Amino acid sequence: MAVSTLPKQMVSLRGVSKSYGDKVVFRSVDLDVAAGEVTAMIGPSGAGKSTLLRCINMLEHPDAGEITIGGKTIAAGKSTSLKEIEALRRKAGMVFQHFNLFPHMSVLQNVSFAQQRVLKRSKAEADKRSRALLDRVGLADFADSYPARCSGGQQQRIAIARALAMDPEVMLFDEPTSALDPEVGLEVLAVMKELAKEGMTMIVVTHEMAFARDVSDRLVVMADGAIIEQGDPHKIMSDPEHPRTKLFLRAVVGR
Amino acid sequence: MNFLSDWSTWFPTLLDGLSLSLQITAISLIAGLPIGLLLALMASSRLQVVRVTSVALVEIGRGAPTLVVLQLFYFGLPSAGITLSSFVAACVALALTTAAYTSEILRAGLQAVPSGETEACQTLGVSPLDTLRFVILPQGLRIALPALMGFAIIIFQATSLCFTIAVPELLSQAYSIGSSTFNYLSVLALAGLMYAVITIPASWLVGGMEKKMSRHLAHVH
Repeated sequence: MAVSTLPKQMVSLRGVSKSYGDKVVFRSVDLDVAAGEVTAMIGPSGAGKSTLLRCINMLEHPDAGEITIGGKTIAAGKSTSLKEIEALRRKAGMVFQHFNLFPHMSVLQNVSFAQQRVLKRSKAEADKRSRALLDRVGLADFADSYPARCSGGQQQRIAIARALAMDPEVMLFDEPTSALDPEVGLEVLAVMKELAKEGMTMIVVTHEMAFARDVSDRLVVMADGAIIEQGDPHKIMSDPEHPRTKLFLRAVVGR
Repeated sequence: MNFLSDWSTWFPTLLDGLSLSLQITAISLIAGLPIGLLLALMASSRLQVVRVTSVALVEIGRGAPTLVVLQLFYFGLPSAGITLSSFVAACVALALTTAAYTSEILRAGLQAVPSGETEACQTLGVSPLDTLRFVILPQGLRIALPALMGFAIIIFQATSLCFTIAVPELLSQAYSIGSSTFNYLSVLALAGLMYAVITIPASWLVGGMEKKMSRHLAHVH
């Protein structure tokens, strides 16, 4: 029998549910993301995309289900220690809609801070890695500036460098360009494309349909608290099966 | 110009009183602020017992008039077997008042730090303690600084209440000179002037700082 050459599952969700009081955000969601795969999540506002993404690294605690990242599993409902949650989070880097940089730290410190405190890298080691990453996102000259001096697009690229500095196995993007001018958003998308090309596993909640179609390997459509369709982005974009997907795509693509 | 010669005679005695007022202010702030910070942190604890304790202490501390607290520590505690010198009683009472009031100021400062930064720390695996130490406190304290300075001015003025428990601070000194010379108007005017020489420049400083802070905050985001 041949040894399986199936790609390794990097992220898998099993029966993950979340509600706030009476309001169900999503119910029993399953999702698998293979190592090196870029998954784009689209869908109307309020579909639960961001909440699902935030459940993957336990920023929101799901009510039920299991979350596995890189072989580390956490089951909802059971009491989980902060140590276990931190171990899971360590495997995932996250980029937020509003960047969430530390305004009182220089750009370099923003990227080096967690490396020093969490990975126990020396300041010299951390700064060296930070400078390399800032160079990679095209911001080598901004190392000594403060975030407030940088444009939104630059801030988001700093945030990407900050997440990459922790050597994550998967990167989670929560509408990374939604707070940016379309033109500035392109800088961020370029960095993300570069990352995808280098084989980073990525889950991207986005309204950027071109990115979802051209860069992602798989498209996941969420609506009304469930994944209603997933598969090849080109196929779904040109020939959606679910009527809700058709409706959504007509609204965002055909405008 | 008779009053000028009076003032120059009284001035050294009043200066001693002013120095004592400033000492009490400094000790109250140095002892009270860390307790205030502790109460502020307790107020956002996950444990309800801790939160309730904090709120109760703060409400009692802010609800009780400073004069009553002073009297309680100086005249009240001896009945419970604890005797404090008037200076110590003054410092303890004002430190506790400082703790109660500043905890609210500090809590507001800490809460003004956007929660997104805490989330960023969580996703980076930064421990809650490090998040507090390197992200929340440096920014929260800076936000709270103008209000804390304003409170320091108020507590300096409140040291005049210590005259009721026989601490020889500025007002006591003025009062005793007044009672021996019957020149109350003149000596109290001088004492008032000496308080103002401290408080007015201090409040200018606070005003300047507030302006600078708002510029800084407008700049971010």
